[in-house]
Amino acid sequence: MRRILEARQHQVLHASEGETGLKIAVEEVPDLILVDLGLPDIDGQTLVTFIRRVPELADIPIVAVTAWPEDTAREMAEAYGCNGFISKPINTRAFPDQIAAYINKA
Amino acid sequence: MPTFLNNIDLIPASTFSYEELTEAYNHTRVDYIVPMPMNAARLQEYVQTYDVDMEASVVAVDGNEILGLGMLGIRDRRAWITRLGVIRRKRRRGTGWTLVTHLIEQARKKNTTRIVIEVIKDNSPAHNLFIQKGFKETRELLVLRRPPGESKIEMPPAEVKRLSYTEAVQLLDRRQAVPSWVDEKESLINAGNLSAFQATLADGSHGWLVFQNTVFQLGRLVLQTEAGNPLDVARALLYHLHQTHPVQDTKTENLPGDDPHWPAFKEMGYLTMFRRIEMVLDLKEEP
Repeated sequence: MRRILEARQHQVLHASEGETGLKIAVEEVPDLILVDLGLPDIDGQTLVTFIRRVPELADIPIVAVTAWPEDTAREMAEAYGCNGFISKPINTRAFPDQIAAYINKA
Repeated sequence: MPTFLNNIDLIPASTFSYEELTEAYNHTRVDYIVPMPMNAARLQEYVQTYDVDMEASVVAVDGNEILGLGMLGIRDRRAWITRLGVIRRKRRRGTGWTLVTHLIEQARKKNTTRIVIEVIKDNSPAHNLFIQKGFKETRELLVLRRPPGESKIEMPPAEVKRLSYTEAVQLLDRRQAVPSWVDEKESLINAGNLSAFQATLADGSHGWLVFQNTVFQLGRLVLQTEAGNPLDVARALLYHLHQTHPVQDTKTENLPGDDPHWPAFKEMGYLTMFRRIEMVLDLKEEP
């Protein structure tokens, strides 16, 4: 994911755990937050809940990334206030355009 | 019986660090429907919460390479197989069979009389393996989530009282439903931060709700109707829970699919993340 986005000139800030991800998001206030719903420390939905509570991040688009079945992914993403979801494994060709669309919508 | 294509040595999990076990566990899950990765701290907490016996738990290796692992929780005469998984490129070679056979043997050595295992619904390879090993399906269990927010439906008029931790623990002895391993009284006490509400409705229906209350989440909900209408009791208690804790996310595991309170959970905005099949191997019936 990182390589694909960097090849399209996006700056990617990566964290492998939710707590670190939240810290980076608060410090850097990115244009878009991709959240894997399966994180090793806190789960993705809880992380999204926390992000939405931070005033500076409240309007930043969040996209859930998940291997869950599409119906479940859609339901969870909507319920938790994500702007959308991307299924894993990602479609490497479509992925940059999906990301650009979320950023442009914001 | 599977074809054995790996050279498999079984080593007690206690000889590995939590970091090593976590890495192996996460590798076994990368392609699961619900991967549920962990870090070392979470795995250690899991081991403590669910009384996992690390001597009886096992890692399958081929030389220096980890093929898979499986853990065994033990309480009194009851055992539970958990965190079982085989690395994707090493599957279909008998590793899962070897791990489960070993864990059953360990459970027998510890004088347990039954082993429980939970398999995610639609994980057919694992489900078939457990059937071949003699496990029988007992029930379907739901893993539920609810995003933060106050309840959107009105609750029936009720008097609701908050109870102390001690009272919450005492209530668990009055539970009528058979708990799954993850929400047995011991698991809940080990997990900590328990709280409870008791509700009495105008028509005399009454019941209670024990739950875990942490900064991150509400969870581990145990709901009991002691008299009257279970739906109204559940509505009153869940309504009160989410009015009192509107900013927390909620996750609760292993609500039986036929639980009489389940429709009230749905009304309150709970979503099904996935379903598990609970299976039991009765060691008393084995030759």
